[in-house]
Amino acid sequence: MPNFTINGMSATVAEGTTILAAAKQIGIEIPHYCYHPRLSIAGNCRMCLVEVEKFPKLQIACNTVVTEGMVVRTDTAKVNKAVTGVLELMLINHPVDCPICDQAGECGLQNYYMKFGLHKSRFAIEDKVHKKKVQDIGGQIVLDAERCILCSRCVRFLREVTKTGELDFFQRGDHSEISIFPGRPLDNSYTGNLADICPVGALTSKDFRFKCRVWFLSGVESICPGCSTGCNIEAHFREDVLYRLKPRENEDVNESWMCDEGRLEYKKANENRLLAPALREGGRTVAAAWDAVLFTTAHRLRGSVEAHGSDSVAVIASPHSSNEELFLVRKLAAEVLKTENFGFTSRTPGPRSSDDFLIKADKNPNSRGAQLLGFSEEKFDRIVKAISGGKVQALLLFGNVLADFSDAEIGSLLSNVPFVAHVGTCAGAVSRAAHAVLPSSSFVERGGTFTNFAGRVQRFRAGFPPRGKAKNDIEILVGLASQLGAGWAFPGETAVFDALAAEVAPFAGMSYEALGSRGRLAGGSK
Amino acid sequence: MNPLFDIAVSVARIAVFFAFVFGLVVVMTWVERKGAAYIQDRRGPNRASIMGVTLFGMFHPLADALKFLFKEDFIPDGAHRLFYQLAPMFALAPAILTMAVVPFGPPVTIAGKQVALHIADLNVGILYLFAVSGMAVYGIVLAGWSSNSKYPLLGGLRSSAQMISYEVSMGLSVVGILMVFQSVQLSAIVRGQGELLFGILPRWGVFVQPLGFILFVTALYAEANRTPFDLPEGESELVAGYHTEYASFKFSMFMMAEYIHLVVGAAVLATLFFGGWQFPYLGDSGFAFPGGISVAVPAWAVFLLRIGSFVGKTLFFCWLYVWVRWTIPRFRYDQVMRLGWKVMLPLALANIFVTGIVLLLIDRGGF
Amino acid sequence: MTIGVKKVARPRKMSFGESLYLIEIVKGLGVTIGHFLHNVAHNKDIPTIEYPEVRRTMPPRFRGCHRLMKRMDGTPRCVACYMCATACPAECITIVAGESPDATVEKYPVSFDIDMLRCVFCGQCVEACPCDAIRMDTGWYTPPDDSREKLIFKIERLLEK
Repeated sequence: MPNFTINGMSATVAEGTTILAAAKQIGIEIPHYCYHPRLSIAGNCRMCLVEVEKFPKLQIACNTVVTEGMVVRTDTAKVNKAVTGVLELMLINHPVDCPICDQAGECGLQNYYMKFGLHKSRFAIEDKVHKKKVQDIGGQIVLDAERCILCSRCVRFLREVTKTGELDFFQRGDHSEISIFPGRPLDNSYTGNLADICPVGALTSKDFRFKCRVWFLSGVESICPGCSTGCNIEAHFREDVLYRLKPRENEDVNESWMCDEGRLEYKKANENRLLAPALREGGRTVAAAWDAVLFTTAHRLRGSVEAHGSDSVAVIASPHSSNEELFLVRKLAAEVLKTENFGFTSRTPGPRSSDDFLIKADKNPNSRGAQLLGFSEEKFDRIVKAISGGKVQALLLFGNVLADFSDAEIGSLLSNVPFVAHVGTCAGAVSRAAHAVLPSSSFVERGGTFTNFAGRVQRFRAGFPPRGKAKNDIEILVGLASQLGAGWAFPGETAVFDALAAEVAPFAGMSYEALGSRGRLAGGSK
Repeated sequence: MNPLFDIAVSVARIAVFFAFVFGLVVVMTWVERKGAAYIQDRRGPNRASIMGVTLFGMFHPLADALKFLFKEDFIPDGAHRLFYQLAPMFALAPAILTMAVVPFGPPVTIAGKQVALHIADLNVGILYLFAVSGMAVYGIVLAGWSSNSKYPLLGGLRSSAQMISYEVSMGLSVVGILMVFQSVQLSAIVRGQGELLFGILPRWGVFVQPLGFILFVTALYAEANRTPFDLPEGESELVAGYHTEYASFKFSMFMMAEYIHLVVGAAVLATLFFGGWQFPYLGDSGFAFPGGISVAVPAWAVFLLRIGSFVGKTLFFCWLYVWVRWTIPRFRYDQVMRLGWKVMLPLALANIFVTGIVLLLIDRGGF
Repeated sequence: MTIGVKKVARPRKMSFGESLYLIEIVKGLGVTIGHFLHNVAHNKDIPTIEYPEVRRTMPPRFRGCHRLMKRMDGTPRCVACYMCATACPAECITIVAGESPDATVEKYPVSFDIDMLRCVFCGQCVEACPCDAIRMDTGWYTPPDDSREKLIFKIERLLEK
């Protein structure tokens, strides 16, 4: 445990810590481009030069290990001059096309230029070396070789994390540039991360390209709803439109990465949304007031319990619902409707690709939570059988899809039920077959927790209020329960989670504070 | 002689005077706007054109009238439907009625019969005038109350308080004139003003009753709700006062009432204080200037000069309304009340006493 | 510390003549009739500008309606960098960027709307533009129109002038 001094402050850090990492721990920022905590150290950008006593020359902080009694200074004129010089060299051939660059606003060159550079260019614009711009190199990435500062983060990422190695340096001197090998585009499921780790605008996202300037975006901590891995993400939105998802660091789940498939999950929160409650009247679905829809749904559910017994109603929960919502769904089914017919399925339509890193075959964020809360797939199968047999008079259905059934199958299956109430976010076969549509909110419009495949309970937060006339799922469930005569008092997801933690064994002792930013494993998980 | 002739004469008199007053009302709306503009260094109405002819904006009253006719006749939800619709009629009717007693020319002889240029030569002329014009306040109060809106109500209340206050001094200010000319019949008063005072001045009301004139003019402006006494529709605090909730032709009826009041007021002013149709130094057979010079004028010219004199005076006082409106700012309400009760009323009373004493002295001294 | 007292000029007391009002009213009538007669006689001196037909020529630095500049080939000079939208304090500029068919241009505005009803004509957008693509030198203030939609100027209209 060496003790060292940096800018006059002394600190003790773990053996083998580099100066850059040690400085970060005590809150001193050393500028850097090529260093990335999750990649090997290259030491080629030379931005992190610091002055170390008894060293004749400046040292790179990213690759100098702290030793006992080391005295480091990052704020001397010598360091400043060196850093400014390095920056000027990097900018010599930079096209300075910030107006059309998507990185602008979160660009390492812009930030450090404002901090250390602010110099006039001493290099005539005609003398700049031009390289190929706008190259589609596969995956989700667009490459602009001109903007590249050759830090090699992308090369190391593809070698060390995905182990595919599609990118490499070509040419020499100031003509050297990064590129793919001819005819072999990026071919892995994690290309989106290249745009994140690239400190400049060389590698940018094809999907996000020109959609929005980053300074307009607000971020909210969230969990990727794309599969049961539960990657920690930050959801970026402007007003009520979601623009992109970015990975958020969580050592226990996704480190700093996320998959390409997950990055496109945001589209489901934007497109094809159900925005107004509706009722089916005489074969046509017409918009109705929330009160009317809740009343009709409650009335039909209670009516069939009274007329045909509690077995005539069924509740199908969705593994896209949060633990809180699932808890309330179970409560509604078991305690208010007093039926045993509640189940869920983790089956989903579409490909169920998986790998041994972040992508799981279960494309639901909360299947494990549903299981822990007492929903089972066997019951789901039984309910489906009962529906086919015409035994279900009223069905309360959550989620936008129904297992892996095709649209036609969903239509013919639900036509056996006299009353289907659909709680979901997107229009589709289910909402078309429903007699009452209760639009709910997407994962950025509500807060709650998901339990990932490993049983880790992780929190996601609301970024903006539900779109249109849609409502929070918890509000819908509480409204439904109160129409059915149960006096629930759950003002928000916090109250529900506290009740859940008190009632359901695997969640015992949990609270939002206790979950923190990394989540907690539910009891009974490995 | 024959009743048909009498009826024809009556109808003709009504038609002529009606046409005169209404024509003047229309012109006055234009004069008011154009005059205001010129006084304020603006251009004023100049857009309405018929086949490219704008005629200094003279067509604007026509355009306004057309617009009023075609606008939606709107009744607010909470209004009292009957009174709301009656109010403009209550405002307009008395205004028209007051025209009846103003003599607009000397009696003429047509087909051997003397015809007074009067709609009605009542022997209680002035009393009738005050009685009828006092009724105009009902229209305003009714409009303010039946609109069921706060601004009109306040406007209506202000107006009624103001009218009652000034009615008193207006009535009293004329008493002097009545005493001097010893009649309440307007034609008699006009005839009385044809004589000369001290042999030099025409014996007009304004010369024998200067204070009465000032008081009467002030009270007249207050009665007509004209600036500086236009508090009932003080737009800065009451939007548009009692007619805030009126639109379309009902609004234009209020406007007409206001302008008819204005025109009739000007005519009455001319009649009572400026000799009505009397032309200075003009007798039945020609001019007789002080100092013995006389010029013979044919009878038809005398008649025309006299009619012209009346019209000219009326036009001048109509213009005076406009002129004053763009000169004097509006009073504050307490100032209006103080002026009415603490200045005008005592002065009017004093005027009567002084007039009485002077008349008594003249009687005794035999001037 | 003592409180500073400032002497304010109070209006002087009115003289007897003034307090009678009548003389002052006559003076006032004199002033107004003076204006009236002058204007009747010298109609041309009235400073009114008869607006739609006659227009005041604006000084060269007057900030009027916006226009977008064009390149030599007629395409908009704007590269949809959103600097103007960012600088705009009234948030009246809405841009949708797109991939230009011209690879050297890369980014261009698919739509560029300025809500003239929200614009405060501060000129920040002109200051912010890195390409000199937006200018406010048309010398024109917002023309009236009969719907809100028409006063949201689209890119075609902005490129016209």
